[in-house]
Amino acid sequence: MIVCVAVVGHQNNPLYIQSFTEADDALKLHHIVHCSLDVVDERVNNPKKSGLTLNETFLGLLYPTENYKVYGYLTNTKVKFILVTTDLDVRDADVRNFFRRFHAAYVDAVSNPFHVPGKRITSRTFAERVSNIVKSFGLSSAG
Amino acid sequence: MEEYPEELRTPPVALVSLVGCAEHHALISSYLNAERPPINTLALPDLSKIVLLLSKPIKSDPLSGDNVGILKKDWLLKHRTRVPAIAAAFFNSDRVSGDPAQWLQVCSDIENLKNVIRPKNIKLIVAVVQSSANDEISEDRMTLMRKRAEIDTKYLVVFNASDDLHLKQSLDRLGSTFAELANVYYKEEGMKVKTRVEKKSFNSHELNVRYCFKVAVYAEFRRDWVEALRFYDDAYHILREMAGTTKKLPLIQCLVQIKTVAEQLHFKTSTLLLHGGKVVEAITWFRQHIVSYRRLVGPADVAFLHWEWMSRQFLVFAELLETSSKAIPGNSNIALGAADLALSEWEFQPAYYYQFAAHYLKEKRTSLDLSLTMSETADEIDRNAESVVPSIYVGQFARLLELGDSLIMQSLTDEEYTRYAFSERKRFQDSSEITAFLKKAYETFTNLKAQRMACFCGFHMAKEYFVAGDLSNAKQLLDGVVLLYRQEGWVTLLWEVLGYLRECSRKCGTVKEFVEYSLELAALPVSSDSGIQSFRRNECGPAGPASLAQREIIHKEIFELVSGETRLASVEGNTDHKVNEETPLHLDIDLVSPLRLVLLASVAFHEPMIKPGVSTLITVSLLSQLPLTVDIDELEIQFNQSECNFIITNSERPSAAISSGQKGCRVESAPLALNTNRWLYLTYAIKPEQSGKLECTYVIAKMRSHFTICCGAESPASMEDLPLWKFEDRVETFPTRDPALAFSGQKAAQVEEPEPQVDLILGAAGPALVGECFTFPVTVASKDHAIFSGELKINLLDVKGGGLFSPREAELFSTDSHHVELLGVTGPEGEDESLMGPDKIKKIQQSFGLVSVPTLRDGESWSCKLQIKWHRPKPAMLFVSLGYFPDSNESTSQRIHLHKSLQIEGKTAVVFSHQFMLPFHQDPLLLSRIKSVPGSDDLASLPLNETSILVISAKNCSEVPLLLQSMSIEVDGGIERPCTLEHSAMDILFPAHLVPGEEFKKVFTVIPEVESSSVDLGSVSLRWRRDSEMEVLSTSAATQEWVLTKHKLPDVKVELPPLVLNREVPPYAVLGDPLMYLIKIRNQTQLLQEVKFSLGDAQGFVLSGCHSYTVFVLPKSEHTLGYKLVPLASGPQQLPQVTAISARYSAAFQPSIAASTVFVFPSKPQFKTTDIGDNKLEPVAAE
Repeated sequence: MIVCVAVVGHQNNPLYIQSFTEADDALKLHHIVHCSLDVVDERVNNPKKSGLTLNETFLGLLYPTENYKVYGYLTNTKVKFILVTTDLDVRDADVRNFFRRFHAAYVDAVSNPFHVPGKRITSRTFAERVSNIVKSFGLSSAG
Repeated sequence: MEEYPEELRTPPVALVSLVGCAEHHALISSYLNAERPPINTLALPDLSKIVLLLSKPIKSDPLSGDNVGILKKDWLLKHRTRVPAIAAAFFNSDRVSGDPAQWLQVCSDIENLKNVIRPKNIKLIVAVVQSSANDEISEDRMTLMRKRAEIDTKYLVVFNASDDLHLKQSLDRLGSTFAELANVYYKEEGMKVKTRVEKKSFNSHELNVRYCFKVAVYAEFRRDWVEALRFYDDAYHILREMAGTTKKLPLIQCLVQIKTVAEQLHFKTSTLLLHGGKVVEAITWFRQHIVSYRRLVGPADVAFLHWEWMSRQFLVFAELLETSSKAIPGNSNIALGAADLALSEWEFQPAYYYQFAAHYLKEKRTSLDLSLTMSETADEIDRNAESVVPSIYVGQFARLLELGDSLIMQSLTDEEYTRYAFSERKRFQDSSEITAFLKKAYETFTNLKAQRMACFCGFHMAKEYFVAGDLSNAKQLLDGVVLLYRQEGWVTLLWEVLGYLRECSRKCGTVKEFVEYSLELAALPVSSDSGIQSFRRNECGPAGPASLAQREIIHKEIFELVSGETRLASVEGNTDHKVNEETPLHLDIDLVSPLRLVLLASVAFHEPMIKPGVSTLITVSLLSQLPLTVDIDELEIQFNQSECNFIITNSERPSAAISSGQKGCRVESAPLALNTNRWLYLTYAIKPEQSGKLECTYVIAKMRSHFTICCGAESPASMEDLPLWKFEDRVETFPTRDPALAFSGQKAAQVEEPEPQVDLILGAAGPALVGECFTFPVTVASKDHAIFSGELKINLLDVKGGGLFSPREAELFSTDSHHVELLGVTGPEGEDESLMGPDKIKKIQQSFGLVSVPTLRDGESWSCKLQIKWHRPKPAMLFVSLGYFPDSNESTSQRIHLHKSLQIEGKTAVVFSHQFMLPFHQDPLLLSRIKSVPGSDDLASLPLNETSILVISAKNCSEVPLLLQSMSIEVDGGIERPCTLEHSAMDILFPAHLVPGEEFKKVFTVIPEVESSSVDLGSVSLRWRRDSEMEVLSTSAATQEWVLTKHKLPDVKVELPPLVLNREVPPYAVLGDPLMYLIKIRNQTQLLQEVKFSLGDAQGFVLSGCHSYTVFVLPKSEHTLGYKLVPLASGPQQLPQVTAISARYSAAFQPSIAASTVFVFPSKPQFKTTDIGDNKLEPVAAE
């Protein structure tokens, strides 16, 4: 289950962060997302060491922590997407698929002429779309 | 890791027992220990000891009967220290080859030993010690002994310690034999257990695990790492399956046992993997280990045991990883292939595991606290916990009961065990350990430049310190953490950290910090619709949930505090803090302060340039992100020119106006209510008086009677975005009403200087002449301003830029290095130098001057004269600047500056020329003129002892008439002149006027007295001055200085002419009257001179005498040729052409046409002869 998704801007500031848990761990998830930015930086700065290929947007598993796994994605405009999941066996394809859909939703949200780039995303439509994508995570390939 | 027993932490080492011949044991032990791989020895002096060691009866354990444990605690230790693989019996050779009694003793010893070791399958080696080289043992004795001991030949060793060589050989043999046989022993033992595992000849999982463990340990003894790893792995997996299935122990204790054993197995596996350099495998293994046990928490009241265990797993692995990465340096930079992406970077860092160790230890503390509060009273726990000790099985505990003399182990119920566990854990302070782990992680992550991870660890560390009451450490860490969160705009995290910081300052009783953190919290961009979820109460820190409501609460709280309504209760010292008259609160907000959110002041001048004394508009705008409206009592606007400061009081709070009246500056009134995220515009006129930069420095807001915020003014044009709020999607408005001003407005404006009301007149009087002291009048005339402390600065500059001084020329003319020089400044007429006063400045340098101007009233004027001298004809630029105060009070008024410049030409006044002439009709033969050697200098030649005439002319090439005083030729340096030089007049008695372009000539006679190739004639000195109307009129003409101009005459050559030709003709002729034309040739040499001579016809004359002739002139004599001529025509007539050729010098002489003309009067003229006397010497001024 996806417990948290986040969009992180150029200055490593959160543009959108939403957790999907009932438990009281939203703050913990914020910390996890924030710490994962270190791994993103490391991957982006040392692409060879991390085995990333050129123009690869999917950064893979950033790090496992306690009960979570953190995945990262870097758009062509250097906006970072972070996904925190509690699933232990996550298929790469699922995560990639999730990020692709999430990216599309993000692009639609920032294409809004009333949205100022670099500002927090407050669009309700975006939030709903993200919520749907999160709910359908893992279902498409499993079914 | 240190809490594990030694035998677990180190790889097992084979154990050998040495029996008998104790004198060699130390040597052999140390040798075996140093072997690769090492062998431990158990040295026993005689046989009886080994019997004691091995035949020690197994202690009757109360629980040993039923196999309820998995691993016996001391099994490994036993095999490492007590049960040898080999028993090596040492016998002295003399005993072996001695008398039958001795031999029998040996045999019985061997027999006894065999009996002892056989049940344990311990291998036997018999060594015969030869103490000297000649100790020979008979072959049959050896064979007998071997048979007696039932060993192979190779296990019967001769140990020869007689000399070094033999000793070494013996030791080598012994070592290799021991190693081989130990290997055999452990292999056999391993095989024995292994067959049991393979045959599954056991009835419980416990035994299965135990057998696997034993096989693995035996394999480790043999250094068969692969097999060891495999069996540890097997044991581990079987053990995992046991969880929940085995019922032999109560549930909690069962779990504890399984986890403890799993921990040991895991430790062994990880160590083996890491020592084998298989880091990736080790990490993967660890991850699986954690995954498989993570959820095995057990009953809730002993959950802390699980968390403690988890923490230990992470800690031990972190330590293992750390030691192995130190041991294998290349470890850290293992390149991750694409396949290894499942492992992330941090998993290779021990810090990652330290952090989790701390995390789980914290978890443990939480659940322990929870369990403790739920359980019975502490006393009871303590009593129950007495006499509980670890049992003989790993991970089990039992109660030790004393029954008479014997001790009995009694198994525990879960409840008893739980109490025991409580009492054990209660004694430990986890906080320091948590901090230590976090600190390690923090430092490593900081070194790795993983600042966010480091911050995370730092934050948790700070929380630990906070809980422990170490506020200074907590604060220091939080201060570092808060910077990053502020910078990256993680508001929720920032909220939490600020909450802790706020609590810290509350506890320390630092009111200022408390207010600062509270205000920042209240101004954070947290709102219900910001997309950030609010957290539930129990999760959030001391600041409470991040929500708009909480912000409002904090806001109210703070304003109650600063208005003195409430007090801040601090923990330390139990004192209350209050904001009142004695402890007013003052906050500073600068450009980088995080409190810019709280109050932002933008100041914009409407005009960038302001005239002094003219009023201009200024807009002060304030913005606050505090959640509630803020009422400002009083606003003080401060400028760098303090007289512009003004105060705005809140018109809606009239009570506040009382305090402001004291300062004596302008007071305005306006409503000063500051709404959230809405600019408060305040536009006022100010009238600056002083010129220069006028900058608004601070805006000081007084909120309550003892609370002020001093906010640095910012220009709207260069204002930084609000931190944190810049990421928010909020309505942004301009800091000024006029949007254009928002882009260009500055907090500083330039106030122009007041217009000078004074004239500075430079009176230019034409070009200056080189050499003269050119006076230059400068007039300062006051128009509307009086002049106080005036200063006149004079600068002379080269027109082309640069100074009037060139270094190259300076070398040549070092005396007057400045081509144009400021000589001095004279005051106006009648002003005495003493009147200037001692305090008046007068500084004159070659190109710079500073003169003070006396105080002038309105309408007065003052002038002075600059004296400038040109050494070269050169244009120069004269800059004159006047600085003055229009007011006698220098401190209040502004200095005004006025500049003027003028370019002045410097021109040469007089140009000299000169000419040498010979006496009339006299021509010496100058050989140098004939034979002009190429390359020789073209000096003028003068005949020796003959009179030559020097005409010097001086031409006025300036544009003004000049007055000449005198002209003379002076010898430079007073050297005696080698010639007579006379001039026709001593001096010019009346100064000669010389109009522009006119030439003045003076004739000198020169008689050279010494023959020389270069004679210095000296230089011409001319004294002159301007001949101006004014000077004639003025009485000071006499005092006007004469200018001396010198002109160096060129050197001349003096030589003795061999022949001198003199022609004598009367000055005039009368038509028809005959006249004598004499030609005299003087030979000045010692030689006879032949001169060819010819005379041509002339139109105007009839002549007698021969036309052509050759004469010989005797040495030192003169020859005269005479012709009589009769003029035939009147007017200027050409005399017959004379040509003389000197044969010796082959030089021809022909007088010029001009020099052979005579005027013929038609009739005899009538002259009026007057006495011309002295006047004959009067110089002729000619055009």
